[in-house]
Amino acid sequence: MAHAPTNPLIAPGVHRYSRSQAYAKKALFKKAKQVAPAKAAAPATTKTVQVGGAKNNQTREVPLVKAPRFYAAEDAPVPKKSRKAPRPVSLRASITPGTVLIVLSGKYRGKRVVFLKQLESGLLLVTGPHKVNGVPIRRVNQAYVIATSTKIDISGVNTEKFTDAYFKRDKVEKKKATEEALFEAGQKKPVDASRVQDQREVDKAILATLKKDRILRGYLNASFALSRGQFPHLMKF
Amino acid sequence: MVNSRPHRLYAKGRVLGFRRSKRNVKEHTSLLQIEGVRSTEDTDFYLGKRVAYVYKAKRVIDGSRIRVIWGRVTRSHGTSGVVRAKFRSNLPPRSFGASVRIMLYPSRV
Amino acid sequence: MVFSRFVEVGRVVLITYGPDAGKLAVVVDIIDHSRVIVDGPTTGVARQAISFKRATLTDLTISIPRTIGTPALKAQIEKQDLLGRWSKTAWAQKIAKREARAKLTDLDRFKLMVARKQRRAIVGKALGKIRKSK
Repeated sequence: MAHAPTNPLIAPGVHRYSRSQAYAKKALFKKAKQVAPAKAAAPATTKTVQVGGAKNNQTREVPLVKAPRFYAAEDAPVPKKSRKAPRPVSLRASITPGTVLIVLSGKYRGKRVVFLKQLESGLLLVTGPHKVNGVPIRRVNQAYVIATSTKIDISGVNTEKFTDAYFKRDKVEKKKATEEALFEAGQKKPVDASRVQDQREVDKAILATLKKDRILRGYLNASFALSRGQFPHLMKF
Repeated sequence: MVNSRPHRLYAKGRVLGFRRSKRNVKEHTSLLQIEGVRSTEDTDFYLGKRVAYVYKAKRVIDGSRIRVIWGRVTRSHGTSGVVRAKFRSNLPPRSFGASVRIMLYPSRV
Repeated sequence: MVFSRFVEVGRVVLITYGPDAGKLAVVVDIIDHSRVIVDGPTTGVARQAISFKRATLTDLTISIPRTIGTPALKAQIEKQDLLGRWSKTAWAQKIAKREARAKLTDLDRFKLMVARKQRRAIVGKALGKIRKSK
């Protein structure tokens, strides 16, 4: 009968037929037997090393990973595995390419800069332009920026080459603390010529737009600050 | 020329005291009065903003006598624009009536 | 000291506190020494009793009979051009200026600063000339 189970339960946990009877009933002998996959060759755990000394047998098997020298007496508490996954940072609706932003903190605090694009890390790519207010092409965090309602046309600007990797700092080699090294550390590092070139290319289009509008250029040159009687919660940006 | 230009990038405020009832004081939360803020709806802009209590001390640390205790505005307090803030370490009671700087970041504008 | 702004039927009132703050309304009837019935069909004020603590009297009046109905009041306000008369007063212009200043964006504030500097320069130059001639 098609709708009756092959091996019904006559009591909880107790089947009508035994294992071998069920095997025969279901004709499992006809099924293709699954072959266990061939075991891959076990990865090497030791390596052979040359050993000096006359009576030391010349070579020795040494484990690739050494056993630890110290075992903790008590089990250290294992931190829970985080279930948080990094999500792409959303951009505020008020920030669109070409928006003038006010930088609130850091070396360029108070400066008004032009927003170019958002990078993969969520940071904002901005430029002064450098000729106008001294701010280079830089990354800035969204939280440290006020978006104004002023927008500049940056359709002529190519920002494709700028990614987070572009801004990665080169690793400084550790030098021994000699007098010359300490003296050099105090001096400013000259800016890379390629960076200067990139700056010029990006700023070219923006500066052309600003050339026609003296007020906008003066606006980007000026710094933002609060004065007496100005309350940020009442101000429109 | 440099001194005549405004440089302030923070809102000014005063420390009013600790959060408390008549006989119980919660020193972990301070109350701040922000200039120009007079109602609860005005405080919405400042929620989450970082706050700095700046003060001077006699001993020089890292080349300066100026010290800061950082904190954040946590929520509004009452209906008249007072705001609660929590600092990294509790504010010292001598800060009551002292000025406090409410920065404009983290910005939501 | 002579008083000129009387509480009377037809007196125009500026509401200063409450949900209708900033709106004009007309006194339609007087309840007692501290309250009046007020109505502002053209400015969005519902007909209601209001205390003087929540309003200020203005110089303007319109001539209406006591307890006039709202539609008739609306007609009278438009006929006597109350809102036009109000907008010409210095008071209303000051309010408008304040509101305009509050709406300025960051760029507008910068332009304003530049304009004030330019004006200051012109005035200063003229003043300098006068001082020199004296």
